[in-house]
Amino acid sequence: MREFTKEELARYDGQDGAPAYIAYQGKVYDVSDSFLWQKGRHQALHHAGADLTDELDQAPHGADLLARVPVIGRLRED
Amino acid sequence: MAKVAREMVERAGINVDQLLELLVKNAAAELTTYYYYTILRVNLIGLEGEGIKEIAEAARIEDRNHFEALVPRIYELGGELPQDMKEFHDMSACPPAYLPEDPTDIKAMLTVLVEAERCAVRGYTQICNMTAGKDHRTYDLALAILNEEIQHESWFSEFLGEGPSGHFMRHGETSPFVSKFLQ
Repeated sequence: MREFTKEELARYDGQDGAPAYIAYQGKVYDVSDSFLWQKGRHQALHHAGADLTDELDQAPHGADLLARVPVIGRLRED
Repeated sequence: MAKVAREMVERAGINVDQLLELLVKNAAAELTTYYYYTILRVNLIGLEGEGIKEIAEAARIEDRNHFEALVPRIYELGGELPQDMKEFHDMSACPPAYLPEDPTDIKAMLTVLVEAERCAVRGYTQICNMTAGKDHRTYDLALAILNEEIQHESWFSEFLGEGPSGHFMRHGETSPFVSKFLQ
């Protein structure tokens, strides 16, 4: 499984046709095809290309919803 | 725009542009859900479908009411709806509630309905969390809508066998919580 640094992950922000990837608890998810992540933005508050572990803890849903999108890699700990 | 009303919200520490984007996205979810629920309701037929048709209709009408109730607040705060209906559809806070491949599959129909309601419950919980104690009018509105969305969820959840909703369906009147915003 592919490993991403935070800098590499930041390139996948869903802008200008780039894929949209997010990280949560060390796993990298591809949300490009999710209706809720169009252009790399989610509910006006969250942006792709980042580790959203802390943000998800504040969200009105749990990590179970991430099971709907594919895991495509791991986030390397720096 | 209600200039002072917006200023009060800003001074309370809320990012009003962010809040407006959320309100518009949720308004889009309400209107698109009204549309998709129309198709779902039409297809709720037969012995099983007829039993769900009435609550699908109540949820459909109330979702339209939610759209109507949200619009004034969006404009009060200086926001606006997109000119293009296609853009409005695509910016919805919730995915389209498409008719399942087999509309006679009642469980699949109920799953579409309950997923749409759960998305709405999450959306208004977020707006309530953001505005509580800061933007009283938006909070009051979002809470009223949240009350109805939770009821919708529990109706469909009950039919899916997830447990009793704990209350009766509507008797004629719709939007018991949101109607005060529809004057």
